[in-house]
Amino acid sequence: MPSSQTPPVGATALDPTAIRPEIADARIVRVTPAELRATLEALKADGFAMLLDIGGVDYPGRAPRFDVVYHLLNLPVHVASAAEIGTPARTRVLCGVTEDAASVPSVTDLWPSADWAEREIFDLYGIRFEGHPDLRRIQMPNDWEGYPLRKDYPLRGPARERTPRPSFALKSNVGAGTPASGRTAAALQKQIAQARAQDGVGKDTAP
Amino acid sequence: MSTPVLTETTGGYAVDVIERSDTSMVLSMGPQHPSTHGVLQIITEIEGEIVTKASPEIGYLHTGIEKSAENLFWSQASTVIERMDYLSPLTNALCYYLAVEKLLGIDNQIPLRAQRIRVLLSELSRIASHCVWLGTGGIDLGALTGFFYCFDLRERILDLFEMSGGARMHPNYIRVGGVGQDLPDGFLPKLDGLIAMYEPRMRDVRRLLQKNPILQDRMIDVGIISCEDAVAWSLTGPVLRATGIAYDVRKAMPYSGYERYEFDLPVRTEGDAYARFLVRLDEMDEAMRIIRQVRKELDEPGPWQIVDTKFAPPPKETIALSMEALIHHFKLVSESFRVPPGDVYQAVEGPRGELGYYVVSNGDNRPWRVRTRPPSLYNLQVLKKIAIGELIADMVVMIGSLDPVFGEVDR
Repeated sequence: MPSSQTPPVGATALDPTAIRPEIADARIVRVTPAELRATLEALKADGFAMLLDIGGVDYPGRAPRFDVVYHLLNLPVHVASAAEIGTPARTRVLCGVTEDAASVPSVTDLWPSADWAEREIFDLYGIRFEGHPDLRRIQMPNDWEGYPLRKDYPLRGPARERTPRPSFALKSNVGAGTPASGRTAAALQKQIAQARAQDGVGKDTAP
Repeated sequence: MSTPVLTETTGGYAVDVIERSDTSMVLSMGPQHPSTHGVLQIITEIEGEIVTKASPEIGYLHTGIEKSAENLFWSQASTVIERMDYLSPLTNALCYYLAVEKLLGIDNQIPLRAQRIRVLLSELSRIASHCVWLGTGGIDLGALTGFFYCFDLRERILDLFEMSGGARMHPNYIRVGGVGQDLPDGFLPKLDGLIAMYEPRMRDVRRLLQKNPILQDRMIDVGIISCEDAVAWSLTGPVLRATGIAYDVRKAMPYSGYERYEFDLPVRTEGDAYARFLVRLDEMDEAMRIIRQVRKELDEPGPWQIVDTKFAPPPKETIALSMEALIHHFKLVSESFRVPPGDVYQAVEGPRGELGYYVVSNGDNRPWRVRTRPPSLYNLQVLKKIAIGELIADMVVMIGSLDPVFGEVDR
């Protein structure tokens, strides 16, 4: 797709998640698509009842190219006070997905909320979720081509020729001879002066 | 009841009505409908007046904010990020910058006054956002008067935003390492005025709406969500707390010094639209309780941004005098700062629930990825579940009680 502006693609093998500084925001688990279901089922059975979010990241040049990121929260599934909940544990499951396969198993049967999140990743990254009941675009129109959040997707549409500006009598015809309409700048000024003279407006300043 | 057919030829989302043999009817509500609070389309199947299936269709307001943010400097990205949840822009910017500060490793160096201002503005945002929900939610049910009371209150809060950051809606006031400038002269007296007028105003609003028998009839036992459903559908914020689970990021994982303030979490166990209504109303009072505590601390002056010219621009008056300051200023404006590689997830309690940012840096001066966890998206999704068996007229009540903001749902 031709573009008027190429996006900054840092096609390096760099994996920021591997060299991250020590930040205690969540426990991090890295899995392959084959291990994903078993890991998430085990985590859910372990008390991680809420699937907070599923996100996608594109690392062109790294193998595997994509990460599908699951954020889980350990919440009780009954009426609970703030003291009982305390600081719930968080787990982040990073699932590497190759560009060729571009598919992971769906978790909509474990968490119904995964429906729209998975559709969004399919829509914007082109990663298929096997077993999703209704996998179609969600943010972009149904007939859209390409996956906008991939790093090689252009920021803007194809470059178009600029429409030439229409010419105006007063601006472009000064000193360019008389156009077919006869409306030159001088002719217009004369017309204006005549109109003013007839109305009696600005008599003392008219030439 | 035949199964709806979703095919390529029906455009993907239109339910096939031609081959239908039963008595049900398909009704498309929105996307241009005033009670959808934005651009939401709901394809409903109704049997008489009872909804048998509801499929919300979103994406009409998709503007590619996450893609735009990847192509802006770290400090510029907050401009588009504030436009996601346009009813509480400061909360979005705060969450994003908290994540960036963690990646930079300066999250424990934020000056105390900056933290207080951040808490103050977050809570003011919460009240302003709930004012819009309360006012427009009342209009949905025919209660027009409450709208004017709520929007007048919100207008006074937006005046404060304008004083602090220069703009009513998207002030871009929160910056890396603190806030853009100190609170201007005259801000605190105006805040005192707001604090003084808040209680009588909310007493009026409560009298108008909370005890209104028509509103109660419309909201009680409508759109009931159980604890199990709330967790399974990833609901957060007032919607979750109306089912009895007192989860709030401000209590569970305090940020910006929320642990220093005393406040309670309003919780109800009914799980219906009226419970969500009451939780939000009580939440506004609790927000005001925090604001009163912050107000007392704001008399104490102090720095409002981190003193590190690598991230924060040097004071304006030093630029003409110091070569170093001029260089730092030029570097920050022309190429921003760089953030060490890594990824981080940061959550704050927005007016709609857990607002999260998953930020990835590859060491460059632009974010590699800014993924938002939009609370509205998940809160709205539960409509598929709770609308079934309700009256079509109550759809309006349910959308209102979930309080979606479509800038955030569609991004």
